[in-house]
Amino acid sequence: MISNEIEFHAPATLGEALGLLADDGDDVTVLSGGMSLVPMMNLGIVRPTKVLSLNKVRELAHVTERDGQLVVGALVRHAEVAANPLIRRHCPVLASAAEVIGDIQVRNRGTIGGSVAHADPAADYLPVLAALGGSVTLASSAGERTLTPAEFFVDLMFTSREPEEIVTAVSVPKLAAGWRSAYTRLARVEGSFAIVNAAAVVAGDHSSATVGLGGVGPSPVVVDVTEQLRDGADEAALAAVGAVVREAARDASGDLMSDATYRREMAAVFARRACAAATATQAEVRS
Amino acid sequence: MKATINVRVNGEDRQVEIDTRMIVAEMLRERLRLTGVHIGCATGNCGACTVFLDGRTVKSCCVLAADVDGAEITTVEALGSGPDDLHPIQESFVQNQGLQCGFCTPGMILAAKALLEANPDPTEDEIRHGISGNLCRCTGYHFIVQSIQDAARRLNGGGGQTAAS
Repeated sequence: MISNEIEFHAPATLGEALGLLADDGDDVTVLSGGMSLVPMMNLGIVRPTKVLSLNKVRELAHVTERDGQLVVGALVRHAEVAANPLIRRHCPVLASAAEVIGDIQVRNRGTIGGSVAHADPAADYLPVLAALGGSVTLASSAGERTLTPAEFFVDLMFTSREPEEIVTAVSVPKLAAGWRSAYTRLARVEGSFAIVNAAAVVAGDHSSATVGLGGVGPSPVVVDVTEQLRDGADEAALAAVGAVVREAARDASGDLMSDATYRREMAAVFARRACAAATATQAEVRS
Repeated sequence: MKATINVRVNGEDRQVEIDTRMIVAEMLRERLRLTGVHIGCATGNCGACTVFLDGRTVKSCCVLAADVDGAEITTVEALGSGPDDLHPIQESFVQNQGLQCGFCTPGMILAAKALLEANPDPTEDEIRHGISGNLCRCTGYHFIVQSIQDAARRLNGGGGQTAAS
């Protein structure tokens, strides 16, 4: 059993949850799916004394369309992100990332809000949000603010969320007809964390092409590859993508899974693969 | 801290006295004596603690007991009441030697149940994908996969495979 005493709260509304944080934010740990937090509590790596569960805040569990965006509530679980018809139709790359997170049981419980708030640099959503130019919405009892990935993901497992704030939604653009996208990851076995991962989002006429990278620094890296893919995605163009990505990944650091040089090389390889997959016809957004 | 939760477990409404430090797997084992729920790693890796929570498989070591108030849980105990009353998936595991030490088996069986409910006639690849959240440290995967293939036949009315000799 977890060793320290825990005061547990599971309010049914966002308002109540924000009220608790307003009073006590510094001491409260917010729990959603718990796929990272509860194991860390079991291991004693984190020892929260007050836990605020969002699992009964049903208003955060919906996917809606607003102003050309898909607004994915923070409590939407990965399995639902992967299966949701709106997401699959308008932003399939987000579903592609969701369907390879962890394993089946993890996807049944883990949430998109929890994943972005945890901000593990190898998390599957991060390069996708970076490539899409998505956003993260935070709420507190004082109001709401919406941040770009660059504003939100500050450092390794560190975000600009204030203690009294809750991540309430992740928004992604509805990709227009003809836009294509793909997500690729390097992992040793199914279910393990990615060593590097890459998402590519490309306009149908190649007037815009963006790669998002994970695992090559403390927060996701965005690389504009419009120039490299302007005339198509042949071998030379993909090699050019690899070169610019290798340079963009220059701050990659080594760890137990791989050294920095390997990460940079693999970032180049997986960015090329993402671009190749995104420019293949079957990846086209159906809208 | 002490707390009381209401939870429907294996079809029965239960009021359970818990400690807020408990994970669901501990509540099921220690409060309700459902010791088919095995705790292998307590980090969400091994899947031995797999249960159905509101109809979907989860790793019950990664969910706080206090967080399942009002929920419905199904454990392996709901599948069969004993050696003479086995669920077809359990029967297949017995007949195909789909277990060695048996520690991972409850989780494997529930993962197989979720898989076969969604996909009654899976390919071998789909079976391997379906149990990718469950580790067998005896590495007896080959017979586990065979057991699930056999379970699919039984559940689809095709009759079971008799024990290999």
